[in-house]
Amino acid sequence: MKEVAWNVFSGGSVTIDLERCVSCATKACVSACNVPNLGSALALGPDGLPALAIAPERAAQGGCIECLACDLACQSDGLGALTFSLPTPEVDAYLDALRVAGDAPGRGW
Amino acid sequence: MPKLLEYRGKALLRKAGIATPDGRVVSTAGEARSVAEALGFPVALKAQILAGKRGLGGGIAFANDGVEVEAAAQRLLGTSLYGWPVTELLIETKCPILSELYVAVISDTAARAPLMIVSTSGGVEIEQAAQAGTGTTVSAAVDMRRGAPAYWCLDVVRTLPLPEATLVALAGVLARLYEVYRHNDCTIAEINPLAVTERGLIALDARIAIDDDAVFRHPELELERSQEVGDRNATALELAAAKIDEHDHRGSTHFVQIDPDGSLAKAQGKISIGFDGIGTGVSMAVMDELVPLGFLPMNFCDTSGNPTGSKLYRITKAILAQPLIEGYVFASCLSSQQLDVTARGIIKAFKEIFAPHGGAPTIPCVFSFRGAWDDVALDLFHQHGIDAHPWVRILGRDSTERELAQTFKDLHERWRAARGMAIA
Repeated sequence: MKEVAWNVFSGGSVTIDLERCVSCATKACVSACNVPNLGSALALGPDGLPALAIAPERAAQGGCIECLACDLACQSDGLGALTFSLPTPEVDAYLDALRVAGDAPGRGW
Repeated sequence: MPKLLEYRGKALLRKAGIATPDGRVVSTAGEARSVAEALGFPVALKAQILAGKRGLGGGIAFANDGVEVEAAAQRLLGTSLYGWPVTELLIETKCPILSELYVAVISDTAARAPLMIVSTSGGVEIEQAAQAGTGTTVSAAVDMRRGAPAYWCLDVVRTLPLPEATLVALAGVLARLYEVYRHNDCTIAEINPLAVTERGLIALDARIAIDDDAVFRHPELELERSQEVGDRNATALELAAAKIDEHDHRGSTHFVQIDPDGSLAKAQGKISIGFDGIGTGVSMAVMDELVPLGFLPMNFCDTSGNPTGSKLYRITKAILAQPLIEGYVFASCLSSQQLDVTARGIIKAFKEIFAPHGGAPTIPCVFSFRGAWDDVALDLFHQHGIDAHPWVRILGRDSTERELAQTFKDLHERWRAARGMAIA
């Protein structure tokens, strides 16, 4: 799979499936990535596909401010090619313990 | 404010050169007996829990032989004291005491400095001694640039009615106690009582608490970081939520469970709800409006300081992980935070949590976005279809705290009615 990926400061990662982006007319993730006074971490590459505009190391140090704008923009206006993965192992473990005890919240977790 | 058990606090005191009784921690009655026999009788058995007044609560016993030690250990281990399970005992040599002193270094917000307090009324709560007017108490703020050398400490205590040799020894203990306080980033380092014995001054107890924000600097203490939870253990969910903030300085997610098991709400005939606020003032105001309407937030949460969307996502998952809540209220009233970023984190969490229901919340949820970028936040909720769900209401900058609470009450009543449940 052709993709662009980077890690984020809080522990997590962003992956964009560029094969899907080929048929995306909006590239909404790129236009959504616009931090006031700081610029953008995403830009369109020479091939017209989303690309990191900053070094991956810098993105992982906080250059990607984890505003989630790209994530939601891709969901609502793009083709769902972007995965913003933010692990919550401690909360997941708490929920697992509730499930074992039969006390899990019935909200569709 | 993580606290150390007595034996761990005493280890810090010993490391600084303050004498403590010989002792060891045990977890079985048999172990208690063999340790006591090695130390020599009489011994003290002390329940290791993070609560004070252990003596009054029956958490401290004395024994003169092996049989007594085993009996006392069996009685103490496995019991519960002030809600804390007793799983460990500190077995110590019992010291012959001539008199008892109180010494402490505490972080004094009024003085904006460490405050050294010394009283000749040791062994009791210092506040009680002050109220009763017993003993003599002296105190002095420490200039952190100069520290608290022994000669300065001697000047602090010189007016106490104690023999000269005791005063000199006391100054030495205070100088070392201040080192414990500074070196470990304590909010309190207290010895009560500090026993005056024929062998010198001996710390019979230790109460050490570490500043929450400095826990990361002390991996050697092996403390689990949680927010301020008072005199109880942090809950599993509080510890999980504290991890969100642990290594990420961008904004806060201050999460504390007010009523972790819902027992307070049940006792008061109220309904538990999840809560998130941006700014403590607005949070208090909204909670003040919710409680008279029959709701009790199961948690307090402050997500201010312009946190990232990812923080909001994670903490929203934690808030909604509380199984007993019958609703969720979000309130903001702040101009220094990008509410669109806040909204994105919440939206991402809602879409994931309620995914099996097409993203539609299954409990009543009311949001109040008031502040910078609040219009964008409202647009985002609309764009992602969250505001179209039947159990969601979203209020804008023209709404008040009372309207927020009343909106939630109305929605909650409809939600209950739709389920054939009694209206609270």
